[in-house]
Amino acid sequence: MKILFWLVTALVLFVIVAPLAWIYLTAFKSPNDIFTTEARKLIFFKPTMENFNRLFREFPFWDNFVNTAIISVSSTVVVMVIASFAAYSFARWNTGKGHLLFTTISTRMFPGVVAAIPFFVMYRNLGLLDTRFGLALLHIYFNVSFATFLLYGFFKEIPVELEQAAMVDGYSRVDIFRKIVLPLVRPGLAVTAVFCLVWSWNEFLFSFLFTRVAARPVTVLISSFWGSIEVQYGPMAAGAAIVILPTLVAAWFMQRYIIRGLTFGAVKG
Amino acid sequence: MSRIDVNHVWKIYPRGNVVAVQDLTFTCNDKEFLAILGPSGGGKSSTLRMLAGLEEITKGEILFDGKVVNHLGPAERNVALAFESYALYYRLNVYENIAFPLRARGMKGPEVDKRVKFIAELLELTPFLKKYPGSLAGGIQQRVSLARALVRKPNVTLLDEPLSHMDQRVRHEIRARIRHLHDELGLTTIYVTHDQAEAIALCDRLLIINEGKLQQIGTVEEVWNRPANKFVAYFIGEPTMNFIPAIVENESSVAIPTEEGKRVFTLEGRLGERHVGMEVTLGVRPQHIEVKRERQDTNAIAGVVKVVEFQGDKTVLTVRLEDEMQTDAKAVVPAQERFAEGDVVWFFFAPSVIRVFEGDTLVL
Repeated sequence: MKILFWLVTALVLFVIVAPLAWIYLTAFKSPNDIFTTEARKLIFFKPTMENFNRLFREFPFWDNFVNTAIISVSSTVVVMVIASFAAYSFARWNTGKGHLLFTTISTRMFPGVVAAIPFFVMYRNLGLLDTRFGLALLHIYFNVSFATFLLYGFFKEIPVELEQAAMVDGYSRVDIFRKIVLPLVRPGLAVTAVFCLVWSWNEFLFSFLFTRVAARPVTVLISSFWGSIEVQYGPMAAGAAIVILPTLVAAWFMQRYIIRGLTFGAVKG
Repeated sequence: MSRIDVNHVWKIYPRGNVVAVQDLTFTCNDKEFLAILGPSGGGKSSTLRMLAGLEEITKGEILFDGKVVNHLGPAERNVALAFESYALYYRLNVYENIAFPLRARGMKGPEVDKRVKFIAELLELTPFLKKYPGSLAGGIQQRVSLARALVRKPNVTLLDEPLSHMDQRVRHEIRARIRHLHDELGLTTIYVTHDQAEAIALCDRLLIINEGKLQQIGTVEEVWNRPANKFVAYFIGEPTMNFIPAIVENESSVAIPTEEGKRVFTLEGRLGERHVGMEVTLGVRPQHIEVKRERQDTNAIAGVVKVVEFQGDKTVLTVRLEDEMQTDAKAVVPAQERFAEGDVVWFFFAPSVIRVFEGDTLVL
């Protein structure tokens, strides 16, 4: 039994770690070491910063990186503001008697690409193509539904009596939301924000379709190394190595909160 | 601190069209301790929540000191409410929980401290002040909730089953202190409970409510001696009142039909002429019955002892009466009087203790 446990753990770990290890190893390899068939060179090679230098010199990596950061952070902030109010309203007053909540969630029920063509036409007419604002708006559109749904559960967990007690004790609605409700759903807010941030950071399809140069996020840049003639593994791995760092940090940060978030209902209220 | 008037108040919940409170009218005088008593789901909590402003009033008016408060929110009504579910702030310690309503209304440091410590002392919460509610037992949490309601001087203090989760011993102790605090601070208190012993021990007047309708309001003596209807008669008192079917003989006597004829009982007051010949129900409290071993000729009925329950200070007898319906009636006798199953006894009802119900309603 014990052996089986470790075997499965090792397998899972391998599946998760191997691609990461490959990216980080490749990022520091010279082209010769990347393409060699010598098994030893997979791990033992002379590290070089060549790929990073090329990435920074020949490609607008940092510009695209900043695009990604601006789009994902700004869209997440807006999403959190809209979704927390919406979710609170759904949870506390059953706004729209469930239909509105369902409509909100239903925007997540079809493949995103279905919406791509109408959005594209609309964006072209509005002049929003290849703008950070335009792409952020799309990310807001897709994340608001998800965040509302997630937060709805967290708000639902807060006993109504708690808010009523605060009301009787002399708090206004706004005070109650700010000082009673929000502190209680803080783990939920953290989890939701991180999910939205990571989704937006990693988003590829809409970024690929709706941006060209000015607003291009870094995910699209990295994919462009995969050309029709050759695959530039070096710069691609170097770019990926940098881009995934924030999401790794987010995952580490999130695991504490996810556990707290998931056990949130266990606190008797 | 205020006189409360409830005028023809209705509460209808839109979902499922549930009528929780029907045409309720009563007054709670300034500095009065009013207990609202009734079975679960009878509309007690809905009434309390409408008084607190947490529930919208479907129809009717609620007045504090003559002013209509229907449109005011809970904060503006200045009420205090202890929730049955405690509703404590789990991120604050006990001290801060109790201080919360004071601080929320802008009270500052030393005064808050004085009031919190006073109430904590009174409710035996001093050792827990630094603790967080999540780490405390249910009964103690409930005391914190009670302290939070009592720390203020509101227009009216509303208590929703505030002792339900406490130990028996603590319950009696705290009960006395609630009453003491009520008198000391000159509060107006409305207390919801389904425990009649608690209500009787605490209140100036009792309000009995069932299925959303007011059954009776009055002092404990009034409700005990002259219950307005069978429900109140049945609900108040332990063991419950005995009901025996009878027929009105004339305006001042009734008869209980038996196998071998009838037993005649004279009454204290007079019934109406229209009652003569009518089927009625006699109500007699077990505590008011005199149990005799010898045959009695007037105002008495025989029966056979079925169950003898020794309760320490008293004994409760269950007796199958000789009436046509073979009614089982209970009587309370002093503990030193020994009875055994199968004994034949005579129940004597003094004229003053016999209540007469026509249908559900008290007529005498």
